[in-house]
Amino acid sequence: MDLTAVLPEIIMIIFAAVLPAVYLGTKNDKMVAGISIAGILIAMATVGQFLWNGASPVVFENLLQLDAFSALFMLVFLIVALYVVIASVRYIEKERHLAEYYTLIMFATVGMMVVASATDLITLFVGIELTSLSSFALVGFRKKDKRGAEAATKYFVIGGLSSAISLYGISLLYGVTHTTNIAEIGAVVGDITGLGPALYISLVMLIAGFGFKVAIVPFHMWAPDVYEGAPTPIASFLAAGSKKMGLVALFKIFLIGLFAIKADWEIAVAVIAIATMTLGNIMAVNQTSIKRMLAYSSIAQAGYILIVLPIGTDYALMGGIFHIITHAFMKGGAFLIVAGLSMSALGENIADYKGLAKRTPLLALGMAILLFALAGIPPLSGFASKVVLFSSAVDASMIPADNWMIWLAIAGVLNSALSLYYYARVVKYMYVEKGPESKIRIPTTVAIAIFICVVATVIIGIYPEPIVDACQAAATAFFA
Amino acid sequence: MFDDIPILSIIVFLPLIGAVIAFALGNNKRMAKLIALIFSAITLLLSLLLLTEFNMSTGTFQFTESYTWIETLGISYSLGVDGIGLLMVILTTLLCFLAILFSWDVEKRTHEYMGLMLVLEVGVLGVFMSLDYFLFYIFWEVVLIPMFFLIGIWGGPRKEYAAIKFFIYTHVASLAMLIAILAMYFEAKPMLESLIGHASFGMLDIALVSGNFSYIFQVAVFGALFFGFGVKMPIVPFHTWLPDAHVEAPTAGSVLLAGLLLKMGAYGLVRIALPTLPEGAEAFVPIMLAIAILSILYGAFASLAQRDLKKMVAFSSISHMGIVLLGFATLSEIGIAAGVFQMFAHGLITAVLFMMCGVVQHKAGTREIPLLGGLAPKIPIAATFMTIGFLASLGLPGMVGFIAEFSVFAATFDAFGWLLILPIISVAITAGYYLWALQRTMFGPLTDKINLSHLKDVSWYEAAPLAVLCILIVVFGLLPGLAFDMIRPATEIVTGLLGVI
Repeated sequence: MDLTAVLPEIIMIIFAAVLPAVYLGTKNDKMVAGISIAGILIAMATVGQFLWNGASPVVFENLLQLDAFSALFMLVFLIVALYVVIASVRYIEKERHLAEYYTLIMFATVGMMVVASATDLITLFVGIELTSLSSFALVGFRKKDKRGAEAATKYFVIGGLSSAISLYGISLLYGVTHTTNIAEIGAVVGDITGLGPALYISLVMLIAGFGFKVAIVPFHMWAPDVYEGAPTPIASFLAAGSKKMGLVALFKIFLIGLFAIKADWEIAVAVIAIATMTLGNIMAVNQTSIKRMLAYSSIAQAGYILIVLPIGTDYALMGGIFHIITHAFMKGGAFLIVAGLSMSALGENIADYKGLAKRTPLLALGMAILLFALAGIPPLSGFASKVVLFSSAVDASMIPADNWMIWLAIAGVLNSALSLYYYARVVKYMYVEKGPESKIRIPTTVAIAIFICVVATVIIGIYPEPIVDACQAAATAFFA
Repeated sequence: MFDDIPILSIIVFLPLIGAVIAFALGNNKRMAKLIALIFSAITLLLSLLLLTEFNMSTGTFQFTESYTWIETLGISYSLGVDGIGLLMVILTTLLCFLAILFSWDVEKRTHEYMGLMLVLEVGVLGVFMSLDYFLFYIFWEVVLIPMFFLIGIWGGPRKEYAAIKFFIYTHVASLAMLIAILAMYFEAKPMLESLIGHASFGMLDIALVSGNFSYIFQVAVFGALFFGFGVKMPIVPFHTWLPDAHVEAPTAGSVLLAGLLLKMGAYGLVRIALPTLPEGAEAFVPIMLAIAILSILYGAFASLAQRDLKKMVAFSSISHMGIVLLGFATLSEIGIAAGVFQMFAHGLITAVLFMMCGVVQHKAGTREIPLLGGLAPKIPIAATFMTIGFLASLGLPGMVGFIAEFSVFAATFDAFGWLLILPIISVAITAGYYLWALQRTMFGPLTDKINLSHLKDVSWYEAAPLAVLCILIVVFGLLPGLAFDMIRPATEIVTGLLGVI
């Protein structure tokens, strides 16, 4: 059997499985981290090679397909895993079960990669569950930390519930269409005239189930608690990685499986998207904890990306993919800065960031760049991706029947302006207000991970062409 | 001379290099100041050198450069200047140089201050040179960040409120403009694809086909652009960020805010909104006229009521930018040219006024007009500059402000007849508040309400920029042709496009 389509996953699994044995033998935590980094890099090289060749192999009777779309997302997820592992080296060095920590991160990444290449609802679901189960354990990794334990419990309960709901939606969809292949579902649904109640219920279940995973309004309440309680590198992993996996799943189900009945759900999803971005931003304004603020801002960003579904054009999908990529660096990097600072005994309240520019000028500059990028200030990456994303709504509204879609762009733009307030407030605290004078130093490994994110944010902002092209190829492959 | 070198790019990014060096010189205040001064001086000299090669007889863009940037979306890095752009570029390099010199006594976080001033210069220059909407928007937004920090770090007592308010207000306006730009891009896309083979964010490309935009589309997009540019100008009722920002900003920040940032809004109207959407402009004439008159009168009356010298000057800016809009609202060649000239004139004059507010604050310790009085004999040089500035701003013949206002009013009479009486009223009020303020601060009996022991006349680094500006105010007042000759060919093109209506 030709297994090339799952080669990256196989590499990751082998490395992940080897890690505990190595740790048992050597008790060397640096080596474990090194091996997992090596595994991730090899997997990246494998994916990159497919992307380069332009091949799109399938495997397991067409259950998984490695094409431009899935390869791009695999790369994104692997990069997120890479910087999270690099940042974690010093963050967790005093914990027990070190090897399992890296193993879990790698397994969670494999789950995301499976989702990226899934062409079938069952493989999609398996991928999601693999990621979810691994991340439950990661969130609660510090067993003695009460907030962490609470977050893990909450995450587990909500995660289990949402899996059950989405599975129910999937089973109803199977009942109606007699297939679990997403493309075939799309074909069958297109032929049905007059929707039965089963399809509607399934639609609601799918939105609710995946809505929990992606933390869209009104299924978002768990996210700030979990992000706040989780070890900060893991919060970064959840925001930049596993949440994006949920969005990929939504793209697949709604833009391929249920695209034929788009008219039945586009308004509902549009309303949810606008509600998500607006509520996320409004809630973020009043937060005093920086992790909670970033969590709410993640909710808002998911709202922006969600407008891809009702618009449903290649161009919109390209914008959505682009924003997912830029967001992975912006938000991931911002969480890592919080992680690095908390290791230097700086609190996680926004007020603790007063006068940070004096205490650690480079880190404050990095944070300012990431926050301005999140707000969409040019010439940073967040601006470029928001322009493509929001402009897709303007583009779609040129068709008279879809005139209303201009409101998606207007809502996004107004929300961007609103979000500027709370991002700029943190920058103001860092640069304008006076705080303690003592210098802060953070571990080199965390600094390297942060450096990757900041540099990517700046470079993608100034020269987005290669990424835009990759996103366009991915969007084309997705709809092919 | 500049055929083979990308001179505009050099001018735009030279201050950026200076900013990086100034930032890096963290501990050496003197070096940071010198670097900032040297880089802004070189930029000024280069922009003046452009005049030697600039062809005054044509209104087309010169010194153009264009490189593909994001091919997929039709975005290019395109720069170029016509007479209007070049005049604004020179105003920018001049005011930045003078503002940096004027800030010679800044001792708090000097290297960051100087770096931010130079970054601001990069943004403003980029706006006046961009020929691509995407690039234009990027430079437009880049301006916000240094100004946010300049107000937030070196500002007055309520600096944090003012900085955030400035940031949010102008950012919302920019986003309205962004939507308008995107709408034009997509509306033009099919037409451009058949005409030049690809979609484009290029201003000139979109202008090629914008004549085919439907009437409703033009009106809607013009409205969004007008809002975006209007908030920046600012126009009543979107002006409220301006007094706050000015009162709290450091002196050099106010100089650049009023001298350059307000011009960006007006420049956007004359560069983008009017020529690209002529039918929209036509439809908006009544609104532009009403808002212009409202801004002129409201700004003048509000100035009359101020106790704070700087706030008075800030409100007078609203009034004077209203005159720019009035000139544009005529949609005539002379009106638009006069509006652009008023932009230039206001840039020179308002710089003097805000510098004088800074001097008074610095020397006397307060800007409250009722607390001041009779300072002229104590600080004669400062009093002279202030008198020149105030007289220029109220439109004394022989100075640059008179020519600008006179030509705008002449064009207004041509276009709207006796409606001119309304804005003309403001001339009397303007004379009133300036002379009254001058009389109460500089002349009359010496005040005993404040401690005058530290009162001394202007220092060299304050006198030099003020002297340069005052000389230019008189030179351009006597020889307005120097600027008009540059502006006229470019406005012919603007009105040529408007000519289709």
